[in-house]
Amino acid sequence: MTAKERFGSLLTGQLPDRVPVICNLFEQGAREMGLSIKEYYSRGEYVAEGQLKLAEKYGHDNLWAFHHTAGDAEMLGSRFTAFADDGPPNVGDLILRSESDIYNLKITEDILDTKAHREVSRTLEILKEEKGDEYPVLGAVVASYSMPAILIGMEKWMELLYLSSDRAAVTLLEKCSEFCRIKTKALFDEGADMVVYMNPLASAEFITVDRFRNDALKWIKKDTEATGSGGMVYFNGGGPINPMIEPLMEATDFPVIYINPHDDVAEAKSIIAGKRILVGTFNDIRLISQSEKEIQEDVDRIVEAGKPGGGFAFGTLVMPLAIREENIRLMIDRVKEKGRY
Amino acid sequence: MDLLEQVLEDYYHAVFDTDREEALAVVNSALVEGLTPQRIIFDVIIPSIRRMEGELVKSNNTTLAQHYVCSKVSSEITDRLIPLLPGSDLSRGTVVLGTALGDFHGLGKKIVGSILNSNMYKVVDIGINVPPEKFVSAALEHKASVIGISSMMVHTSRGPGGAKGVKAILEERGLEKQIKIIVGGAPYLFDSNLYLETGADAWAPTAIDAVEALNKLMEEIRLDS
Repeated sequence: MTAKERFGSLLTGQLPDRVPVICNLFEQGAREMGLSIKEYYSRGEYVAEGQLKLAEKYGHDNLWAFHHTAGDAEMLGSRFTAFADDGPPNVGDLILRSESDIYNLKITEDILDTKAHREVSRTLEILKEEKGDEYPVLGAVVASYSMPAILIGMEKWMELLYLSSDRAAVTLLEKCSEFCRIKTKALFDEGADMVVYMNPLASAEFITVDRFRNDALKWIKKDTEATGSGGMVYFNGGGPINPMIEPLMEATDFPVIYINPHDDVAEAKSIIAGKRILVGTFNDIRLISQSEKEIQEDVDRIVEAGKPGGGFAFGTLVMPLAIREENIRLMIDRVKEKGRY
Repeated sequence: MDLLEQVLEDYYHAVFDTDREEALAVVNSALVEGLTPQRIIFDVIIPSIRRMEGELVKSNNTTLAQHYVCSKVSSEITDRLIPLLPGSDLSRGTVVLGTALGDFHGLGKKIVGSILNSNMYKVVDIGINVPPEKFVSAALEHKASVIGISSMMVHTSRGPGGAKGVKAILEERGLEKQIKIIVGGAPYLFDSNLYLETGADAWAPTAIDAVEALNKLMEEIRLDS
């Protein structure tokens, strides 16, 4: 069974040969290519080749047509992305410095004609051409509720949402939602098999379930109204989301829900109750220093909780560059062994 | 319910509901009704912060947004009330706070800074993306006993631009006993042993834990000297 067939089985409610593995390897591709991270992300071709090399090396079940979140800020005019040698890039230039900047921000389809997006499209195009029949190729968008953090900064976004201006907050959400709709549609048009919707600021780390129901959810629905959420993965983005799963399922049709390492897999499985596909997530920050036995125990715990009855994939979170190759292999190989049906 | 209990309850619920205006109104009305600034800080604001942190740790019932509002409002009120307190210097010590080099995330640091401020620490916030040398020079300039380094990304927590680099400079200059390092941020929550790798003297999972950890570090420094 190919990786694509494996996910196809899940999406049609059948049992695949084994639990599929989504591995969030990004900057590791630069190492495979012998390039600096900045150079690697400068061309879609490099990232595509890096992704193909990684998939061949580790044998996980997805390819990423995603570069980095700072790219979304670049699409809106951010002029400086801070690259590191040992981790993902940061947004170094916040494009919104005042409330009036929010009102002046224009979101049009021109965002697709930026270098940041063109390079991602190129990655997607190559991956689809080269291995589109074998692997699901994933694109990614930042949800409107979370995107302001990379445009105006987390603190100012919190301040707008909770302490100062409702009008500015809603205007910014409207514009980010427009961005999200345009980008999601473009990714699907360009061939992405699924689009991962990243919404860290709507996780239980940041907001209450009430606020999720009454506020964040309406923006999630708005973000996905151009394409529907039927081809999308709801990704935790860094915070626990188990308390949000029920309202999310009531109001949307995301077929895949990708929880956080701090979420309990068995609890999520029981909330989802076979109505969606669950991705149970490994705490990959610990993978940097774990022993073989610890890796196996952590993998086993997740697989044992999620595998029974199917509808389950194994996922990772941020996969820091500091993780040794042998530990990545140990984790993936263990899922393949223990996740067999 | 006596006046203090009522104020405590009203204030907590205002910050729990992320209602800054209501929190300020509760404090203003408490002052008018005769509660002293000292009692407001020590018997209303600080216990409310502890209660909120307790909710976060025990029942996961509060969120970062609530903590942000609580810390911001608490710090604002404490700043207003400190000049009204008897005694000229009640400060527990000075802390320099910043995020590691290459890290542009400032929210966690801001929350910690506000909570420390509400707990009578003088906080010197030197911003985001701070090089190690700047942490040390700011600590010396402001006579700070502790440097707090926030990281939201794994590589900035483990790399030489964070605590590791600061520790190396402190050791090089023989300052490691008089200036201690505390770290915090998302990666440490996923691996509670990570701080040991960075050479930090302590870490804290929440802002209120940072207060406790800081109290201990201050005591260690006092004993060492």
